[in-house]
Amino acid sequence: MDRVTSRPGRVLVHIVLVLFAVYSLVPFFWTTLQSFKTFKDAFSRAPIFIFQPTWKNYQEVWIRSLPDAGSSVGYIILMAAVIITCLMLFARYIPINPAWIYIGGLIGYGVLLWAIPQQVYMAKYYNYFINTIVVTVFTIITSISIGCLAGYALARYAGMAAVVILIAALAFRALPRLAFVLPYFWIGSLTNLLDTHILVIVALVAVNQPFTIWMLRSFFMEVPKDLEESAMVDGANRLTSFLNVIVPVAWPGIISTALFTLLLAYNEFLLVRVLTQTNWTLPVAISRYTGAEDPAQLTLAAAASVSATIPIIVVILFFQKHLVKGLAAGAVKG
Amino acid sequence: MKRNAFYAFASPSIVIMFALMVLPLLMAIFLSFQYMTFRNVTAPEFVGLRNFIEIFEDQRFWRSFEFTALYIAIVVPSWVVIGFVVALFLDQVSGLVRGVYLSIFLLPFIIVPIIGTIMFKQLWEPSGLLTWLYQQITGARFRVNETSVKTLIIVFGIWYVTPFTIVVYFAGFQTLPIEMFEAASIDGATRMQKIRHIVIPYVSSLTIFILLFSIMDSYRVFDSVFVLSELNPQFKADTVMTYTFLTAMQVQRLGKANAMAIITVIGIMVVLVPFLYLMYKEQIEER
Repeated sequence: MDRVTSRPGRVLVHIVLVLFAVYSLVPFFWTTLQSFKTFKDAFSRAPIFIFQPTWKNYQEVWIRSLPDAGSSVGYIILMAAVIITCLMLFARYIPINPAWIYIGGLIGYGVLLWAIPQQVYMAKYYNYFINTIVVTVFTIITSISIGCLAGYALARYAGMAAVVILIAALAFRALPRLAFVLPYFWIGSLTNLLDTHILVIVALVAVNQPFTIWMLRSFFMEVPKDLEESAMVDGANRLTSFLNVIVPVAWPGIISTALFTLLLAYNEFLLVRVLTQTNWTLPVAISRYTGAEDPAQLTLAAAASVSATIPIIVVILFFQKHLVKGLAAGAVKG
Repeated sequence: MKRNAFYAFASPSIVIMFALMVLPLLMAIFLSFQYMTFRNVTAPEFVGLRNFIEIFEDQRFWRSFEFTALYIAIVVPSWVVIGFVVALFLDQVSGLVRGVYLSIFLLPFIIVPIIGTIMFKQLWEPSGLLTWLYQQITGARFRVNETSVKTLIIVFGIWYVTPFTIVVYFAGFQTLPIEMFEAASIDGATRMQKIRHIVIPYVSSLTIFILLFSIMDSYRVFDSVFVLSELNPQFKADTVMTYTFLTAMQVQRLGKANAMAIITVIGIMVVLVPFLYLMYKEQIEER
C-alpha cells in the first residue's frame, strides 16, 4: 500500500512498531536480567535493574565442578566457539570455497562438543544438550531425505494416489500429537524402546512428515519440468537426474524446510516428555526447573532458558531469509 | 512421471506415515475400548464403551472443554486482528529497518514454546517485573488463582502466535496490486476506505486459511498450558489436551486418555472435512 508521508504519521508508525517490539522483547529482557542476578537480587520485591552481574547461575546449570585452571579453560572454549561462528557467518567474504568453511565449522563444533567434557566435569544439563543435538540432527537427515523423494514424486505425478496422499497428510497434520503419542508409548513399553533416541527420532520424523512433504512439494513444483527431461534425454535415469539436476536447483527450498524441521525437533515437548524418562531433550529438562517448589530454581530456570535459546538465535542469524521465505511459502500456498 | 517411478520415490515416506500415523490411530481407537493402566500394558482388558461414558460424566473433562472453547474464542480473533494491524504498520517501513523489526517480532514464535512460557512466567513470579507493575498500577497484589492463571495462559497464547499471522499477512500485502491503490487515490479514497474496500477483501482467503489453522492449533495447545497451570497446584486451568495428558501419565488411565484423544480427533475432523474437500477439488482441478 502507499506510504504515509506526513511527518506526524511517520512518527506514529514508528511509535507503534517500537511499542510492539518492546512487547515482544520484555520476557527475553527480564529473563536475561534474572539469569545474571544473585539469589538476593532476583528475589527483591521491587525490580532491580542495576546490579553486580554474576555467572554463577550459568555455572551451576552447566558445570558440576570447576577444573583448577577454570577461567582460562572457559575462555578458550568460549573463544573457539565465537571464532567458528564468526568464520561461518562471514564465509562469503573469505576467498575460499564457502562449502569447505561450513564443513570445517561443523566439524569444529563437533570437536568442541566432544572436547569440553574431557576437560571439565559437566552437569547433567550438558547431556540433555547433547541428546537434543543428536535427536535434532538425525531427525533432520532422515526427514529431509525421505521427504525430498516423496515431495518430488508428489510434485510430478498426476495420478489419484498423489491426491489421496496429499489430502491424508493434511488431515494428519491437523490432528493432535497426543492421539499418536499415546499409542507410541504403548508400542514403546511393549518393545522396551522407551527412553531411547531411536524411538524419539522415528516418532519425530513421522509426525513431521506431512508438513515436510507439503512444503518440499511446493518448492519442487517451482522447478521447471524441462530441466530433468533434458537430463533424461542425455541418458540419466530419474534418480540421478533428480540428485544432480533438481536437488541443486531446489536447494534453497530444501534448506528452508530443514530449518523448520530443526525448529520442530528442537522445540518438541509433549512427545519427548511421554516417550523418555531420563534421556530428555532441553525443553523437558528445563520444564523440570519450574515444577519444583524450591524458589532457588528461579534464577537457574532463567539461566537454563537463556542458554537453550542461544543456539536458536545463532541458527536464525545464519538463515533469517530462509525462515521468512519458508513461513510465507508454507502459508500462502497452504 | 510414471506410476512405478512415483511409488519408488514416495514409498519410504508412505511407509513411515502408514506405520506411524495410520496404524497408531487405529491402535488409539482399539485402546479407547480397553481398560489399561501402566500395570497391564501387555494385557489390556476390553470394557466396551465404558471409557466414553466415564468421560461424558466427568466434570473435569467438561470444565477443561469449556476453558478450551474460551481460549479459542479469545485467542483466535486476537491473532487475526493484531496480526493484521501490525502487518499494516510493518508495511509502512522498508529496507534494513523492516528486517530488524521483523526479526524482533518473530522471536516469540521461533523460540521453544516451553522456554517462551518459562520466560513469560518469570515476569509473574512474586519478584517479577509485571507483578510489581501490576501492584503499582492497581494497588492490589497479584494473586495466583484459577482466574489469573487462565488469564495468563490466554495472554501468553496471544503473545507467542501473533508473529505467525503478522508474517502471513505481511507476505500477502506484498502481492497487493498497486494499480488499484492508484485508482483509489485518484478517486480521493481515504486510507481507511482503502483498507476497508481493497486490502480486507484481497486478503480474505488468507484470513480463512489463518482462521482454520488457528482454530485447530489452539485446540491442540499443550506446552504453555502445561507449564503455566503448574502455578496453580490444583490444575484447575486444564485444556482438553493437558487433561488428556494428565489422565494418561498421572492418573495412569491410558484407555480413558486414548478415548479422549479420539473424541478430540473427531472434533477436529468436523472442522477439517469441509476444508479437506475444498483442497481435494483444488488438487483435482490442478491436474
